[in-house]
Amino acid sequence: MAEETNAELAIIAVNRFGLGARSGELKQAKVDPQQWLIKQLQAIKFSTDLPSSQQVFEIMAEYRKNKSKAKQQFTEKMQTADMQNIEMSDPANTSNNKGKSKKDKNTKLNPLKSTYRTLTTDTFKQAMLSENSLSFRLLDFFSNHFSVSAQGNFMVPLAGTLEREAINDNLLGRFEDMLLAVSKHPAMLVYLNNEKSVGPTSRASKKNRGLNENLAREILELHTLGVNGGYQQADVIELAKGITGWSVAIPKRDKRSGFLYRAHGHEPGRRNLLGVKYSQQGVKQGEAMLRDLARHPNTSKHICTKLVRHFISDSPSPQLVDALQARWQATNGNIKEVMITLINHQQSWLPEQQKFKTPREFVLSVLRALGVKKIKEKQLFFVLQSLGQMPMQAGSPAGYSDEQQDWNGGSALMSRIEWVARVAKSYRANAEKIMQQTLALPTSNRTYKSVIRAESREAALTLLLMSPEFLRR
Amino acid sequence: MQRRQFVKMLTASLVVMQTPAFASTLKNNKKPSKIVWIIQRGGMDSLHTLVPTFDPDYSRLRPKLSRSINDKLLMLDQGFGLHPALTHMHQLYKQKQLLPIVAVGSGYGRRSHFDGQDYLESGLTTMDHDNGWLGRAVDIKQKDAIAIANSLPISLRNSKASTWYPSNLKDADADIYESLLGLYQDDELLRSRLEQGLKVQVMAGTSTNKRNGKFVSLARSCAKLLASDNGTDCAMLEIGGWDTHNNQIGRLDRQLQELDQGLAALRTGLGDYWQNTVVIVATEFGRTAKENGTGGTDHGTGSAMFLAGGAVKGGQVLGQWPGLADAQLFQQRDLMPTTGVFSWLATVLAQHWQLTDKQLAEIFPDSKSYQQQLIV
Repeated sequence: MAEETNAELAIIAVNRFGLGARSGELKQAKVDPQQWLIKQLQAIKFSTDLPSSQQVFEIMAEYRKNKSKAKQQFTEKMQTADMQNIEMSDPANTSNNKGKSKKDKNTKLNPLKSTYRTLTTDTFKQAMLSENSLSFRLLDFFSNHFSVSAQGNFMVPLAGTLEREAINDNLLGRFEDMLLAVSKHPAMLVYLNNEKSVGPTSRASKKNRGLNENLAREILELHTLGVNGGYQQADVIELAKGITGWSVAIPKRDKRSGFLYRAHGHEPGRRNLLGVKYSQQGVKQGEAMLRDLARHPNTSKHICTKLVRHFISDSPSPQLVDALQARWQATNGNIKEVMITLINHQQSWLPEQQKFKTPREFVLSVLRALGVKKIKEKQLFFVLQSLGQMPMQAGSPAGYSDEQQDWNGGSALMSRIEWVARVAKSYRANAEKIMQQTLALPTSNRTYKSVIRAESREAALTLLLMSPEFLRR
Repeated sequence: MQRRQFVKMLTASLVVMQTPAFASTLKNNKKPSKIVWIIQRGGMDSLHTLVPTFDPDYSRLRPKLSRSINDKLLMLDQGFGLHPALTHMHQLYKQKQLLPIVAVGSGYGRRSHFDGQDYLESGLTTMDHDNGWLGRAVDIKQKDAIAIANSLPISLRNSKASTWYPSNLKDADADIYESLLGLYQDDELLRSRLEQGLKVQVMAGTSTNKRNGKFVSLARSCAKLLASDNGTDCAMLEIGGWDTHNNQIGRLDRQLQELDQGLAALRTGLGDYWQNTVVIVATEFGRTAKENGTGGTDHGTGSAMFLAGGAVKGGQVLGQWPGLADAQLFQQRDLMPTTGVFSWLATVLAQHWQLTDKQLAEIFPDSKSYQQQLIV
């Protein structure tokens, strides 16, 4: 690290650890790049005005009620009124919608989709404007580690709540607390079908219902030990039984919402996971199993390797992983402490750019560089969809790939060019100035020369944002 | 000038140059031998797709699932019946252009999707994420390949294959692509990616329905990219959504319809080229023999694969049925694989692309091809 100047380290700090520099950040980072990053490890404050997972269930219940009511009204109307006078449209429309615009109807009628969009746009906007973009990188990392997909009626509005609740609340604390919060969160329970999983010899099993291994398997394979973490099929079953009864309240029936432990669905008896016996009763049994999994050395190895891959390089340096793992073990999995070790380690600051940005990182860094303050939902989803990384739509519990070769294909590069060319048209920004405040390239650099010599402001900006230096971090 | 015109000029020469070996095959009017590799991600439940109606344990293990399709199955030979959604595939079978193989496995013995897919794609028993079986085959035979994806899946890595995926964005001005090619001159990776991207966009043409990422539409575009004498000879498609832990009846019905329509789109789009094409459809593993407590099935082992196309010696069901009695199941839980996916793939490569045993040993070092005739 000694050979690089603070100016050079500051460029690495804003791009490799952060989401790209906003105006002025490079200057601030220069004073002490490591400290500048460590100070960013602060809890993210999300607005409490937006729907929580508990409210989602209420919205959902209300939506269903209105939908069936509207359907009923529609049918009645069809029977009594003159058929020709009725607008032939979605029966779910309420009766007095004549003259209202189509858009108006849609937002009113589909609160599920609008909840998904509102939540994920809000998270994105905060990341775009944040002075602590490192914390948002960390949030994105764990949100993808515990990936849930917005597919199906329930998951569409729920998906966006997991990162804002279970993950963010534990982002700078102990991993085991995060694991527990996530595993009890309605979004995860519904996504991996645990809410209906019941023990084969439990009281609830009689009604044609039984065990579902899905969540237990992914906890072992993806969330904790890792696929080669030394567990067997029998362990999957034992963990699945240990968390039977971990369910989600149905507001109408249970008169409450959120996580609900259903004792009659819990498999009775002792469990044996990885050779350890668990004789606890009720919800405590699964909790004890999860805490032990979180503390297992293979879990720290798995997650520290993933952290290094995410922040630094697709080929994680073993010394760096070891250093993180040692800190993890010493602090009982304190994520903030592990991050500080990452920031302070020499191997994190290799001068060569190590990774091609993911679409989300790329879009955020472009908008931050341009100093964009507002972005419309529609524009945001258009670009994220075009570039292949819609929020909460990885479609697999393994999340989006964190390896650059999954993002740098020819087709993906073409889409980036098309989008950047469009952005360059709409923001007449000064490319030279932006180049100085994000990459501070030397005048001998090829990108520097191309940007300076470009034939138009628009072309200059496109070249800068599509330059090898801006595409990577 | 818009990109497509510019690129047409830029790459016209390239396309012509890429027509080495076909002169001879074209003389006897035979279309070039093409391969389409379709991976089903998520673990397809073969027992609900290719149903062993003769097996006494089938409906015992799956009372609910079997009841939903039993009287609507599309019958093949030896007592196997196709799921009712697979009408087009059933037609293909009758025309001897579909060849289902039962009870296959990749040799991957655990139950992780992601590991299982990587394993199936690499074709190696020691995993290499940068090296895929199809990539090695394409490399050896100097074929032009393309993945219908935003970036190269493992299957095609270690080859010069390109990627294409529909985009809903408008083209940028031609000057920009030219300037970027200049800017990337010292950046090997970005330059080659940009060149690939430009070339493929020309081949895909403008009439492709841009926005649509649905499997059927991807299959249609895929056929378009393949349907020429001097174009691409090999393509890969991916279809997700097979992980049916719950509500399997409805979900699999939709999935299979999509697959069926995708194959129909390939056939239509390939036109005359269908006659010398092999489409290979396989998944990372099958699912539990027994239905689970939530109307679905959990991760299992043995599954089925399909070969389709005019070049396939279809109208027969291959593979050995292991039976579904408890003692016949793998770990008393999953369909037992009795033949290997890699060996079947090797057999296709040997017979369709004339790979030698030595070449096959480079592609699948731990599997040998079978003797059965799969290709007409």
